Amino acid sequence: MKRIDVKRLASLGLLTALALILFFVELQIPNPFPVPGIKIGLANIVTIYVIYRYSAGEAVLLTAVRITLGSVFSGNVMALFYSACGSFLCLLGTIFLKRIIDERHLWLTSVFGALLHNTGQMAAALLVTQTPSLIVYYPFLIVSGCLAGAFTGLCAQIIILRTTKFKP
Amino acid sequence: MKNVKNKNKLKYKIIIVIAVLIFAAGIAGSIVVLNAPKKNTVIIKSDGKILYTLDLSSEPDRTFEIKTDRGENTVEIKDGKIRVISADCPDKTCVRMGRLESSAMPIVCLPHKLVIEFAAADDGVDAITE
Repeated sequence: MKRIDVKRLASLGLLTALALILFFVELQIPNPFPVPGIKIGLANIVTIYVIYRYSAGEAVLLTAVRITLGSVFSGNVMALFYSACGSFLCLLGTIFLKRIIDERHLWLTSVFGALLHNTGQMAAALLVTQTPSLIVYYPFLIVSGCLAGAFTGLCAQIIILRTTKFKP
Repeated sequence: MKNVKNKNKLKYKIIIVIAVLIFAAGIAGSIVVLNAPKKNTVIIKSDGKILYTLDLSSEPDRTFEIKTDRGENTVEIKDGKIRVISADCPDKTCVRMGRLESSAMPIVCLPHKLVIEFAAADDGVDAITE
């Protein structure tokens, strides 16, 4: 049986806290676009970092905790249901892409991750509201997802490449 | 060694081209959506059920409230345009969407499952999907 590494556990806890803080900082930024679902996704900097530095399982755990606590603290359970569907599709895709794309091209992983996130969100919204016309938001989500994904991916890439001496 | 490096470069080029193509498709889609023509008949739906069918060209200026068990939205009709002026949902996206301008872009309040959109010219598509 594998014993729990205390140092690893502690740093994952800190990263979860960091992701939650970024999530709440982002909630304070008003959304200038009249389309539901458009976000920068600052908390994903932490998710991408954990996927590349830690293991896939740990990234899934961190995201699950972040989403659960985020919904409890922000009180917006419905919006979080949409983003949870997106997050898990995004996680699956990113964990797979990690095998293809190395750290120096991390921002590309993030772009595809963001696109998958928006796709999952869209699918959840379509299922919940039963309104096929919602699909018209999808092009906007693709454009914003590419830009936001490239931004958060670049942030994570810079952090990863500058902290190569750090061992989890 | 050199061969591996070149192979890697090609791989990233292909991936970047795919990303750019998706991005371009998104922009093209957005332009199509923003340019879709508008009509006069507006339907207000909640949870997939039609609550109101309004003809904006003959509707007088007024405001009214839509109450569902999920919450309240106040809708305003002015000069033949419809918009949501207040809502008790936390994100207020429906309010910030402003007036209904494009038939491809309905006003949506996801927390209340409320949709305000132009009616389709013929109800063929909607009748099938619902």
